[in-house]
Amino acid sequence: MGQDQKDQLGRRQFFRALGGGTVAAAVGVSTAPLTATEAQAYDPGTDETRSRYRLTDEVKAFYRTNGYETLQNSTNAGKK
Amino acid sequence: MARMKFLCDADRCIECNACVTACKNEHEVPWGINRRRVVTLNDGKPGERSVSMACMHCTDAPCAAVCPVNCFYTTADAVVLHSKDICIGCGYCFYACPFGAPQYPRVGNFGSRGKMDKCTYCSGGPEPDLSVAEYEKYGSNRLAEGKLPLCAEMCSTKALLAGDGEMIAEIYKQRVIKRGYGSGAWGWKTAYRETVAI
Repeated sequence: MGQDQKDQLGRRQFFRALGGGTVAAAVGVSTAPLTATEAQAYDPGTDETRSRYRLTDEVKAFYRTNGYETLQNSTNAGKK
Repeated sequence: MARMKFLCDADRCIECNACVTACKNEHEVPWGINRRRVVTLNDGKPGERSVSMACMHCTDAPCAAVCPVNCFYTTADAVVLHSKDICIGCGYCFYACPFGAPQYPRVGNFGSRGKMDKCTYCSGGPEPDLSVAEYEKYGSNRLAEGKLPLCAEMCSTKALLAGDGEMIAEIYKQRVIKRGYGSGAWGWKTAYRETVAI
C-alpha cells in the first residue's frame, strides 16, 4: 500500500465520520420538534375554568318567571 | 354539573332586538361587532319567525377544533371562551362556526382585522373575575356575580332562555306541550311531524 492509498483511506475515514455525524444530527433535529411542539389545547388554569354558575335567588327568579305559565309546579324551578 | 345553554323560543320572539342592545351596552361592545343578532325568516310575510342568535357554546366546538393557536377553552359550566392574548385574528373560527358567532373589530385580511370577539355567556375570560382587564377585553362577568346573561334576562317576551340546559329544556318542553306545537319555524313539521310528541 502506497502513501497515496493511505491518504485516500484517511480521507475516506474522514468523510465516513463526517457522514455519521450528519446523520446523527439529522436524527436529533427530526426528533426534537416532535416532542417540543406537540399540539396542546390552551389551558388557562383550574381557577379560570372553574364553575361560576350558582343557583342564586336571581337565577331562581329567572327560571320561575320564564316557566310560570307552563310549569305545573313553579317551585320545582327553584329546587332543581 | 350544570351545562349553560341558550334556547330561543322562535314562537315568542318579536324581533325587538332588545337582546342585541342589552349585550352591546352591558359589555361596551365596539362598533362593528355584534355578539348577538336577531335573524328573521320570511320577513314581512305571514308566518315569519325570528330567532336570536349568538355563540351557542357548542359541546364539541368547531371553532376550537380549527384554531391554529388553540386559544379556546371550555369552562366547567360548558361555556366556550377564548384568550385574546393568544388569538391571532386568522378568522378560521369564523369560517368554522355554523352560527357566525366570531366577530372582528375591523374588516380586512388576516393580520389586520384584530382579535376575535364573541359571546362569553356573560362570563368574562381568563383574566381574574370582575377585574378591569377582564372587562376591557371580554366585558362583564355576570355569571361570577350569580346572574345569568343579560340578553335572556332582558327578553320582554321570555323568548330567549338561558341557564342550566336541563332547566330551560324543561321550561320549553312545557311550553310546547301547552300550546301544542313547537317553534313554528320553517322545517319544524318536517322534523317533528304535525303532532308534538315529547
